[in-house]
Amino acid sequence: MTPPPSTDPPVPGMSPAPGTSPVPGSPLAGVPDGHGPVSSSPPQGRKPEAGGRSRVGGPVRGRWLRGGGSPDPGPSRAGRFGWVRRLGASGVGGVVIVAGMVVLAVVGPLVWGEAAGRIDAAAILQGASPEHPLGTDNLGRDLLARVLVAGRYSLLLALAATLVGAVAGVVLGTLPSVLPRRAARLVTATVNALVAFPGLLLAMFTAVVTGLGARGAVLGIGAAIAPGFARLTQTLAARVAGADYVAAARMLGVPRRRILTRHVLPNIAEPLILNLAQAFGGALLGLAGMSFLGLGVQPPQYDWGRLLFDGFPRIYVTPEVALGPAAAIALAGIGFNLLGDALARAAARTSATGAPAPAPAAAPPGEPDPGAVLEVRDLTVAFPGGLTPVREVSLSVAPGEIVGLVGESGSGKSLTAAAIGGLVPYPGTVTYGALRLGGRDVATLSDRELGTALAMVFQDPLAALNPALKVGGQLAEVAVVHEGASRAEARRRAVDRLGHVHLPEPERLAGRHPHELSGGMRQRAVIAMGLMGTPRLIVADEPTTALDVTVQRQILRLLREVVDETGAATLFISHDIAVVGELCDRVVVMYAGRVVEELPAGRLAGGAAHPYTKALIASLPDLDTDRERPLAGIPGAQPGPADVGPGCAFAPRCALATARCESDRPELAARGAGQRVACWEA
Amino acid sequence: MIIRNLSVRYGRFTAVDDVTLEIPDGRIVGLVGESGSGKSSLARAVCGLVPHTGTVEGARRTQMVFQDPYASLNPRMTVARTIAEGAGPGEVERLLGLVRLPAELAGRYPRELSGGQRQRVAIARALGGDPGLLVADEITSALDVSVQAAVLNLIRGLRDELGLTMLFISHNLAVVRYVADVVAVMHRGRLVEAGPAEQVVGEPAHEYTRALLAAVPRLRG
Repeated sequence: MTPPPSTDPPVPGMSPAPGTSPVPGSPLAGVPDGHGPVSSSPPQGRKPEAGGRSRVGGPVRGRWLRGGGSPDPGPSRAGRFGWVRRLGASGVGGVVIVAGMVVLAVVGPLVWGEAAGRIDAAAILQGASPEHPLGTDNLGRDLLARVLVAGRYSLLLALAATLVGAVAGVVLGTLPSVLPRRAARLVTATVNALVAFPGLLLAMFTAVVTGLGARGAVLGIGAAIAPGFARLTQTLAARVAGADYVAAARMLGVPRRRILTRHVLPNIAEPLILNLAQAFGGALLGLAGMSFLGLGVQPPQYDWGRLLFDGFPRIYVTPEVALGPAAAIALAGIGFNLLGDALARAAARTSATGAPAPAPAAAPPGEPDPGAVLEVRDLTVAFPGGLTPVREVSLSVAPGEIVGLVGESGSGKSLTAAAIGGLVPYPGTVTYGALRLGGRDVATLSDRELGTALAMVFQDPLAALNPALKVGGQLAEVAVVHEGASRAEARRRAVDRLGHVHLPEPERLAGRHPHELSGGMRQRAVIAMGLMGTPRLIVADEPTTALDVTVQRQILRLLREVVDETGAATLFISHDIAVVGELCDRVVVMYAGRVVEELPAGRLAGGAAHPYTKALIASLPDLDTDRERPLAGIPGAQPGPADVGPGCAFAPRCALATARCESDRPELAARGAGQRVACWEA
Repeated sequence: MIIRNLSVRYGRFTAVDDVTLEIPDGRIVGLVGESGSGKSSLARAVCGLVPHTGTVEGARRTQMVFQDPYASLNPRMTVARTIAEGAGPGEVERLLGLVRLPAELAGRYPRELSGGQRQRVAIARALGGDPGLLVADEITSALDVSVQAAVLNLIRGLRDELGLTMLFISHNLAVVRYVADVVAVMHRGRLVEAGPAEQVVGEPAHEYTRALLAAVPRLRG
């Protein structure tokens, strides 16, 4: 069974697989689970600038992806020149060259056709001159005109070869998914053999067999392109064929051919089309090569390769006659390859749209709370486009205390945790009145101080561990990097810590790779990694969501044990209010980016005051739920970060809501000891 | 419908070991167990998605609803086309109504829907195949609790309305107890206990069932 995925919706634009279409929408609603404690690369390969301009006290973390980096330069230009930025300089170059080539192909023969065919006995085999900038050929025809005219033929042949290769490749690549098993294997094996065969040999062989001339060259180059396409199609199709929706279609009795045309091909079309542009560039060069070898276009027809072939013997005397067509080939090849690259890059990335979030004025930090390890005051996370998924969140965690942060997808709980750890993805902006760890502003802590004082545990332990390194080595790394411990000392401590989290045979386990451990063992290893330093704060973001209930119970027990022993303050983020209620001392409930209630965990069952908290508890079935009655759900949906109005965000779903709730937002107000509620009516 | 002596092997690993389980007509059988207990393999075998030995008797047209609503709908197909694949275009509106979705959603693409809405579309698609047995594999584990409550209510409503026979798989015993009439517990590929839901939860016979029950998180107070 696969572990259940995150309860938060996937983050559009964080890591789109090649070929998935860019999802329009906000770049938020969750935080990637993949940022482990030692992860260091920004999601889109763009490093936020070191001197963030609009950062208002945002954490400055060199080691981690920084929240509050400066917004994208010049977003106001994004509207008019957005495509320029998306393609990049090289992409624009590609577009310009390709557009020029297309224009040349259309108008070239019309404008220069006559000049290219005019025979001039008086000007045979000349070099460059004012009348003939690239010289003339053996019949005195102007070579510049011939190069310009040959564009159309060269491009048409390349187009034909690309189409031949692509069609043959896609057919070969998809055959295995419709053929019976044995025939499918045969096709796959053939494709594999062809991929291993040198392309040029394949092209020459096909061209010789099918006859010299343009047709043979086109078929030859097509044959050279086809195996690559077939392989790509096969790989992409195999991935889609394993998808649940294909299984569903099979169960509904949809025939194989229809599954292929409806489900598989539309979902792999994009990367295939992107590959076409690059293949076209390759075909152009390949055909020129074939003509140059004399295997391609034969006189009286001519393409760039043929012109190069004719000019080549004269290269030492009048180099321009060969360099002209060579430059045309190179330029076209570069143009199409640049365009293909840029298209692939643009498809693999979603751009952040909209204006940068205005940085709200930071509230005064106030005096540090001496009793809190973690102190957060008025923490706000904003994204471009006026999206504010976390709004003025304040909370504090005392030593040895576990505070649960609970809420549904999109409530901002994970982003709050990310902001505390300095892990808000680009282009998010973090502002706060105070964000103190051990009484000091996190922005003033060095990487080393933060690295040892803060331990983070994520939902997916496999993403937090490097799959290529042994578990023990990864743990030891922490001590070596942060504390300058010797290898042997670090290793000894790693084994000790692995034993500490009740992993059996820690000595042997340290020598294993992460994939050799079960999910629960991996999560223990990640917790052990956090214990390599002396953590003052542990931030655990849905650490048990991917685990079974029995393993979950063990991990919760371990967390409690670790906290009791180290006295670390712990922020435990979960969507499961029952888990939070069982483990935590205090619970903070978030809704639409704000804290709506804060109360001791023991009072969740009987003393919750906010209607949302009550609804959350009521909607969760437990072992005593009345099976005869429907579960109490919550009507409607949580508003997105852009749709939060001036009033209480929960009002549209609340049975108690009045006109006042719609217009005025209730502030968190104390209600009895240790409880604060933001509600007018409760 | 009855599953008889069903085994699933991947190479030398036995994922499902000789399971015999009866699924009474018009009832929901809940299947619990942890990761690797073989419950998903059993589900896929019943649906004919993985090779197996043993027989599944009396199951005509098995349909399945999957765990991840973000991966189980074709991103390039509208809701209407997705549902029409099994049922035909004339049935779309009725099926959307069955899963309590407004008819306006028919023209939308999956990316425009919430997780709960997607899961309802997946249920409608499965219902369009007129299933003799509906297999639901962890269909609420990727959803928020409030959405989970609505989907569980829907499942129970469909059973009462359509007389749906269902195999409902989950690792969450509280959820299974709530929706299922019969609860079956799997552990390491074997069926260790099966019986009426209240009985399995109230007087668990097997040690593993007791461990599962003890691990269900509860609110104090």
